[in-house]
Amino acid sequence: MFPADPRARATLRWGGAIAALMIVQSLVAAAIFWALLNASHARDLEQSMASDCRFFALTPIGERTEELREMLTRDIHRERFLALFDASGRLIDGNIADRPVAPAGGSRAFTTTLTPTELPGKQRDVARVTLCPLPGGQQLLTGFDLDDAEEALRIAEHALLIGLLPGFALAIGFGLIAGRRAARQVDAVRQVTERVVAGNLAERLPISHRPDSFDLLSSHINTMLDRLQSLVADVRAVGDDIAHQLRTPLTRLRARIERGMREADDAREFQAVADAALVEIDQLLGIVAALLRIRELEDHERRSRFAPVDLAQVAADACDLYRPTAEDRGVRLHCAITPVTMVEGDASLLIEAIANLLDNAIKFGPKGGCVTVTTRQSGDGVIVTVADEGAGIPPGERDLVMQRFYRGRRDCHGVGLGLSLVRAIVDMHRFTLRFADHGSAVSLIAPAMLT
Amino acid sequence: MAHIRLIEDDRGTADEIALELRRNGHLVTHYPLIGDALEAARDGEPDLLIVDRQLPDGEGLDLIARLRAAGSRTPALVLSALGSLDDRVRGLRAGGDDYLPKPFALVELVARVEALLRRPSDPRETRLIVGPLDLDLLAGSATRAGRALDLLPRELKLLEYLARRPGQIVTRSLLLRDVWGYTFEPNSNVVDVHIGRLRRKVDAEGEAPMIRNVRGQGYVFDVPG
Repeated sequence: MFPADPRARATLRWGGAIAALMIVQSLVAAAIFWALLNASHARDLEQSMASDCRFFALTPIGERTEELREMLTRDIHRERFLALFDASGRLIDGNIADRPVAPAGGSRAFTTTLTPTELPGKQRDVARVTLCPLPGGQQLLTGFDLDDAEEALRIAEHALLIGLLPGFALAIGFGLIAGRRAARQVDAVRQVTERVVAGNLAERLPISHRPDSFDLLSSHINTMLDRLQSLVADVRAVGDDIAHQLRTPLTRLRARIERGMREADDAREFQAVADAALVEIDQLLGIVAALLRIRELEDHERRSRFAPVDLAQVAADACDLYRPTAEDRGVRLHCAITPVTMVEGDASLLIEAIANLLDNAIKFGPKGGCVTVTTRQSGDGVIVTVADEGAGIPPGERDLVMQRFYRGRRDCHGVGLGLSLVRAIVDMHRFTLRFADHGSAVSLIAPAMLT
Repeated sequence: MAHIRLIEDDRGTADEIALELRRNGHLVTHYPLIGDALEAARDGEPDLLIVDRQLPDGEGLDLIARLRAAGSRTPALVLSALGSLDDRVRGLRAGGDDYLPKPFALVELVARVEALLRRPSDPRETRLIVGPLDLDLLAGSATRAGRALDLLPRELKLLEYLARRPGQIVTRSLLLRDVWGYTFEPNSNVVDVHIGRLRRKVDAEGEAPMIRNVRGQGYVFDVPG
């Protein structure tokens, strides 16, 4: 009896809820209208009866019968009951047979059963009446036949019901349509995500020209898919990179071993072949390790272990580490380290970044030149700069050098992972990397630590 | 000779490790599963554990944690193909004493094993005499057979580190970690250049070389005679 399809169920739930809401609302409105109408009708009767009492009290005793007749004659709808009783309760004149008993201590108006004398074919009738004493000991009964009043109310009730019926139909119809629309929107998201899971990452949700909150959600999902797609593309690119970068040296390695085995005559020559192969394998492993490290750094999870780091100390250690290497290459290493405030970071990663910059400066700067490492405090935070006297990286290549395996100069040894590693480390720290406009200088800018 | 238990499921890797360690004079027993290692643990404690992380019947770190909980103080070297540094921290936190990501050079493994097996001489000593070498750590001076060595502070630290571990393989990454205090792999031979300079100062012409290069990966400090 329940639809098995969750989409139909969603439609029914949404539609049912909306319809129920609308029905309850119209019922409440009708009930209020009904109650107000009833109250207003009762008030009209009371006011009319009270004014009769006032009128007869002011009418001289001799003219009351005449006035009563006059009023009955004017009552063409035959809905009025009027009667005068003397002090002993005997009927003087009127259109009922006898005086009803007023409820003890009750309000002046009450509902009772009367015996009409001037309504043909009617022995008893229910009426709303008031008994009021008049000056001179007489008593006036004034009242309204409730048949007519009830008839009027019944008509109003019918009108309300007839009005409600199309309302109900509308409510249910609208509820189902709105529910279906909502279920369809949700289902559209489901279908797209299903296709994404199936591997089609280019799928996007439609966004209408005048977006509502659901479109906002859709646009967020689209943004998420964009990010996912670029990440996947990135991973694929890394895979391609690795395959491409490893295939060449592997081919070379294979050829070398093959030739070595063919040509080596004694153990010493074999040893030389094996040693050369080992060096190349180490280089290959180095490439794999560096790539893995870049991926790992891009994961940004390591931030959790950040601690306060003194970049001046790190820069000084990097200088210390590279001084002999620089001297061997005939490069003067000048370190102008000034004390700086602590920054949030990972000392081992930061020295790796600075070491890579230093390595590049020593390798690519002019021989006999000078490489300068400076740390200084600025308004934004701490700046570590590594500069050499070379031409620097041409502005057009600055984005390229951060990409994996990009080598600005083919004449140098290396696999072109250094700067992309620096970039990954800097990004992970949310630091900035800045190339000087003129000359060859790279700065690492660390925001001051939030205290 | 030390007794080493190796828990590693890959047959080829295990054989290579065992061969290399035996070549360095150690007794190696190999267990492919955590269950085997736990059973063996009842027969007494080895001098060192080498534990792979991803094993067919569980996580190597859990094995270490269980042994630690049972009161074992045997040093443990964790091997893993999960090379990320967070894994390294987890490995050390779980009770491992050192962590070596795969792929590693065998010489690196041997160096780490020796570093764990041999506790260096008392680091509070201010005077270190090894063979002809005499280091005065307080004054920051060093002599070899009476000849004063003109060492920079960093060179003295390097020499001290090597001299406390005679006969033991010390790799570049161990030197970077323990002498400079950073864990990273520099992409050029900066550490070798430091050692080269130190060696020229320590091993003069005609003297027996005390600092020996091991296949480009590490160094051994030899005491002549």
